[in-house]
Amino acid sequence: MIKTAPSEYRVTAPRNLGAVFGRVRTSGPFLWILPAGLCVLFIFGYSVFDLVQQSFKYQGDWVGFENFSLVLTDPLFRTAIFHNFLLLFTVPILAVMSFTCAVLLFETRKGMKFYRSAVFLPYILPIPVIGVVFGQLLQLNGALNSALRAMGFESLALDWLGDPKQALWTMSGIIIWKEVGFGTILILARLISIPLETMEAARIDGAGFFRLHLQVTLPQLRAVILFYIINESIVMVSWVFNYVYVMTNGQGGPGNATVVSELYIYRSAFQNNAPELAATAALLLLLATLVFIIGFFRIQRNMSKGVFDD
Amino acid sequence: MKITGKAIAAGSAVAVLLSTFSLIGASASVDPKKAFPTKPVTLTMWWWGEQEAPGAQAWVDATVAAYKKKRPNVTIKTVLQTTDGLVPGFAAAAAAKSGPDLQYFWGGIYSQQPGWDGQIAPVSDYIPASELKHYINATTELSFQGKIWTAPWYVNPSFPVLARTDILSKYNQKVPKTWTELLKVCDVLSKEGVPTLAGGVKDGWFGGWLYSIIGGQSVTNKDVVAAVVGKQKFTDAKHADWWTRLQETKDRKCWNSDINSLELYQAQQLWKDGKAAMTVVAGPDAPNFANAVGASKVVVMAMPKWSTGQFAGKMGSTSQTIGITQWSKNKEVAADFIMFGHEKAQLDSWYNLTGSMPADDRFDLNSVKDPVKKALFKSALPGAPYLENFIPAQLDADAVFTNVQLVLAGTKTGKAAAADMQAVMERLRKTDRSLVKNFTAWNK
Repeated sequence: MIKTAPSEYRVTAPRNLGAVFGRVRTSGPFLWILPAGLCVLFIFGYSVFDLVQQSFKYQGDWVGFENFSLVLTDPLFRTAIFHNFLLLFTVPILAVMSFTCAVLLFETRKGMKFYRSAVFLPYILPIPVIGVVFGQLLQLNGALNSALRAMGFESLALDWLGDPKQALWTMSGIIIWKEVGFGTILILARLISIPLETMEAARIDGAGFFRLHLQVTLPQLRAVILFYIINESIVMVSWVFNYVYVMTNGQGGPGNATVVSELYIYRSAFQNNAPELAATAALLLLLATLVFIIGFFRIQRNMSKGVFDD
Repeated sequence: MKITGKAIAAGSAVAVLLSTFSLIGASASVDPKKAFPTKPVTLTMWWWGEQEAPGAQAWVDATVAAYKKKRPNVTIKTVLQTTDGLVPGFAAAAAAKSGPDLQYFWGGIYSQQPGWDGQIAPVSDYIPASELKHYINATTELSFQGKIWTAPWYVNPSFPVLARTDILSKYNQKVPKTWTELLKVCDVLSKEGVPTLAGGVKDGWFGGWLYSIIGGQSVTNKDVVAAVVGKQKFTDAKHADWWTRLQETKDRKCWNSDINSLELYQAQQLWKDGKAAMTVVAGPDAPNFANAVGASKVVVMAMPKWSTGQFAGKMGSTSQTIGITQWSKNKEVAADFIMFGHEKAQLDSWYNLTGSMPADDRFDLNSVKDPVKKALFKSALPGAPYLENFIPAQLDADAVFTNVQLVLAGTKTGKAAAADMQAVMERLRKTDRSLVKNFTAWNK
């Protein structure tokens, strides 16, 4: 007969250890991210709390929704928000261009590395450098217009950044030029990971270039393209300050032709000595950005599922 | 919880921007005067001026070195600011209550506002009145309820028009003295493809200059402050007519066609290069411009007259200044350095290194031999009030800079610009709830 340990010892020890390991298994990841999480919560949580607080005060005194009323009725704020909205129209253009560039790079046999670097290069250039270069290049009598005039295209030689009717669209063009590299590399990375057999099968079935990429490739890139669209939407709503600042000397000009919401916030806080209005506008911008952030995480979740499904 | 946590993390970009927004108003009280410290002291000075008075950097370096010899326990670190970064940089420092001990300020509202906001201590609390009375323009632009916020450093005759006689005579034109003459010159030169006036408004600043030298002809600084507080309107004829004059310069093709895509300093180069007949420059830099093309070919003058107002045909005068920050722990030392800069050796050194006029009536004008400089300096003693310094900085940026750009782009009329300026002012009185009180007190 085999002797066994006393029942209370035999039963309790393994069960308790299992429970502990189980708990560690489930709460472990949270413990690991706790220090970083607290740090993030403190830095950003405090900032947001302070922001909310300031937006309801004027020089330390509680003023209720007065600041919100002032900001929302400010024609300049509305103009700025409208410009951010207009910039959103560049997002589909960016998506189409990035997809096209990625496919062309994918199909390029020779010199793919060179072309890939060339497309990605603008994305890694510092925005101040871009601002200075394009500021010079796009002057009415700058290099671009001189070249256009020399080629006989006088009517195309516009005052790209100096004419209020064109300045925002010129700015959009520069943003597209810079941001398209990111999308291209992102989509190309996913494109390369698609099993070649799928494409080979489509080709054997007679799919041409356009049909192959529109009906076979594109559906498989949906998740990553959606991610890129959401990311760029956030950029257009709350991340174009640098472009506007460096290309218009912090003015958002000519007139208010290129004022965006971030510039409005910056000018309110640091030029116009109105931190409360800046905080209010920033809070409104944060709320607007949240819409995209929520979308961003949903897409990200779907994309993760998509990757595993693939 | 899931979304909130992610949102906060992903919204970090916005939050980072906002984390610095806790701007605060410091107490207006100042420390009582103390004995000069004997322990090591380090002061930081953020300054600007090399841009309009080339040679200022050399003067700052030499003066700091000379002060070190006089006060071996004091070290002064100097940081040259950019034009676009001067005001926002100081605003950020004031929000954090740390940064420079000594800060450069333009005159008028640019010195008043930091004082009203409790960001600077009045220099009159640390510099004796017997000394301050020698500082040019200290009482005109910088005083508030018996105190003087900042100490004038150098005089900025604001702003001289430079005319090149060689270019004008090439087209049989004389230097225009009146507005009508100016427009006629524009008609002739534009047909030849030569801009009469070179300017650049991309960076906005030149708009403020134009407001002061064209708009200043029909009003006084008292009128302007009255319009700011709502007792007059910027649409009243005497305030608004200058916008029509500005539109006339656009309609008559007076300017270089690329005025909206050039910064001011880039445009002035056109004049130096002989591609434009006239330009407007910063007062301290005018002699350098004149000498660069040959002083004998240059006439330094005020903007041609269009009005019969008190200051029509006169040059404005403002002093660029240095202030002491409220958070400085060594205000007496900072004041001592400012006074050191006004000693005879430093005044002479400033003139020798920059060719511009120190803001001190003890500077011997007889030592100035250059006729261009002499005429310029005399025009600033006393000059007309420099109008841009008497309006809120936000009105300047949001109404003057922007509307000048639009009028010169041809997309807005002068009348619409005046209406917009009035609308911006009315709005400002609502958003800056201390504005009327402060401007009224300043104007008394």
